[in-house]
Amino acid sequence: MSDSLARFHSTNGPVTVVLPFEYHSIIADWAALRRLMARSVPSAFTRDEWAYLITFLDPENLLSTFTESFGAPLTDADGHDEPDAPSHWIYRPRGAIAVWLPNNVSLLGPLTLILLSLTGQRIRLKLGSLAEDLCGEFLKYAVTHLPDGALRGYLESRVTAETFERGDRRQLEFAEESAVRIVFGSDDAASAIHALPHPVDSVGFSFADRRSEAWIAHDAADDAILTTLIKVFAIYGQAGCTSPRRVVVPDGTPEQARSMRDRVAELWPQVIRHDPPMHVASSNLLASQWALALGWDTRVTERHGAVLACGSIDLEAFDSPMALRFVAASREQAVAGLPDNIQTLGHALTDPTDSEWLRLLAGTPVLRFVPLARMHHFGAVWDGQDYWRQCFSAMEVHS
Amino acid sequence: MSQLLDERRPYGPRDNAEFLREMNELTRYHLDGCAHYRHICPMFQGADDRASLPWLHVGLFKQINLRTEAEGIHHERTLKSSATSSGVASRIALDRTSSQLQSASTLAILRDFVGDQMRPLLVLDSAKSLRARGEVSARIAAALSLRPLASEIQFLLEDADNPASLKWDLLEEKLHGHDSLLVYGFTWMLWLAWAAAEIPTSVRQALSGKRIHFVHSGGWKKLEAMQIEPEHFNDTLTSTLHAESAVTDFYGLVEQVGIIFPLCASGYRHPPVWADVLVRDPWTLAPLTSEPGQLQLMNTLPRGAPYHNVLTEDLGRLVPGECACGRSGTRFELIGRVPKAEIRGCANV
Repeated sequence: MSDSLARFHSTNGPVTVVLPFEYHSIIADWAALRRLMARSVPSAFTRDEWAYLITFLDPENLLSTFTESFGAPLTDADGHDEPDAPSHWIYRPRGAIAVWLPNNVSLLGPLTLILLSLTGQRIRLKLGSLAEDLCGEFLKYAVTHLPDGALRGYLESRVTAETFERGDRRQLEFAEESAVRIVFGSDDAASAIHALPHPVDSVGFSFADRRSEAWIAHDAADDAILTTLIKVFAIYGQAGCTSPRRVVVPDGTPEQARSMRDRVAELWPQVIRHDPPMHVASSNLLASQWALALGWDTRVTERHGAVLACGSIDLEAFDSPMALRFVAASREQAVAGLPDNIQTLGHALTDPTDSEWLRLLAGTPVLRFVPLARMHHFGAVWDGQDYWRQCFSAMEVHS
Repeated sequence: MSQLLDERRPYGPRDNAEFLREMNELTRYHLDGCAHYRHICPMFQGADDRASLPWLHVGLFKQINLRTEAEGIHHERTLKSSATSSGVASRIALDRTSSQLQSASTLAILRDFVGDQMRPLLVLDSAKSLRARGEVSARIAAALSLRPLASEIQFLLEDADNPASLKWDLLEEKLHGHDSLLVYGFTWMLWLAWAAAEIPTSVRQALSGKRIHFVHSGGWKKLEAMQIEPEHFNDTLTSTLHAESAVTDFYGLVEQVGIIFPLCASGYRHPPVWADVLVRDPWTLAPLTSEPGQLQLMNTLPRGAPYHNVLTEDLGRLVPGECACGRSGTRFELIGRVPKAEIRGCANV
């Protein structure tokens, strides 16, 4: 593969990005796979997960990875790339990328693979040792189903997925031989990996333990918003770092929080039509009793799909995979109650662009403030780190 | 105090009306004395049938310290489950009054299955396990429930968690002194420490022809992973022993301490007349008459905490009809645990 120069117009002026392929063709190859994916769902994935992957592979979404990192494509009046445009910056790939993915990691695994493939660099994936590994499964699926072309050739020759234990020598190799380290896992696991010997000019990113919540104003909580809340929550429940663990009704009353909870309980069976697994149904019964004992007002949805509790913001929390708490709070109480490791704050507010919200959140560790429907949207910036652009190093150019 | 606890007739004719009356009374008693329980079932007045009695999910005992405070109730020790699946142990507050009833209950049940002949009890555990102050493990509690049937007790393991630490010399000494022995161990420990162990020749010779009644509990999960079938398990333990040797597998939960469910000769389990079993649909909680579902266990004994009626995470099936073993009343099959699946998330759970 020969290098290709892609031109963009960033806020700092024109930039050139060095890639080992034409990025348009790689995006087109992913789009081709997307069409095949619509035919059937592999057994390793749920229908929701597969549908999300198909949506994620939308060419516009993949193109946005470049545009959000480097600016709009630099084209002439006819819309063609301008190959000879001057550049103030040249971005070159740093080199090999190593990704550590533990066993139970969600769709973030395949999503990371897809975005990193757009850098064209060698990628080594360290997978968990259990069979249900979505990233490895997706890589196999892509290599098997993609037609011959640049993407298939790249995935076959430059991307490897390996499974090994913590003490394996490859753990060291991954760190020593990579220009970029991306670690999913616990804080301790990430620290241990970044402490391994690595090139001094390499960069490391940790996507560690995070929590998210939803802020929904009483006036904004129509059925469409609450349906979105159910869909966003139901994919992973509390296990997802981007799933809401709590719904805050800012500036609301306890009655408004309760009525929102009641409406979600009514809508749940219309939105989630399948039975939960037996152990989830059982753990929801446990959670409902645990919550009641702690003083929460609790409802279990039909066929025990979820536990929805409302109560005072200072009640002791309870933990369960499919339990969602609704609390009314002043804005100050809501901010004070944010967990230290807050990641995404999904909003459905009357006017989220109100500068008051930004002023309020500026002093918090919140990393994403996005509409409810975008809570799970993975992108080139994650956990507040522009890891995708950092897969490139910058060369400054002045004439 | 339960009027149903008749130590001589644990499986005699059932008095369902009295059982319901005692369960209603016990429920009201716990509601009076346990605030957490009151929060969970604030509206309870009384139930017209067993299925309408309020229950607690067994997992709740891992999350909350449930205790009933009442006149004459002295909480003494805490019974801890083995916590092998979740890593979190259930903690049951034991009180003197209930312990007496529970000991009488267990003894009555065990006597019905292993007889009341006094003989040495050999426990596949370490004596050190007795020394945890204020706490007692499920394994020790199960072993000590056999104490009234024992002429003496010996702990066979040097290290409670190491099956290779069996004191063969002590076993050999007991074999030379007695023709009949009672042996208790957790199922997996009995297999690893005894059945699958390299038994020294002298011990093997001493075992030959002895009458041993093995009693085990704790479930088959570890042995299923090793593909050990119950028939093979039993045959391996008894092959060189006297023909009257036997193996009794019992099912029990720390959340139902005092009630155990040995497997009868026909392959079923029976609650004594002071206990009962329901099976519920996991998604609707509807009581099931013969289909598999979640087991709900209840008994009339506990006073120190509201563990008298619990929904378990074990699967079972009621079996209609009379049992050929001769025990009357409800019988059920234990099918296994509610299947767990890995929770998929962001690697942070």
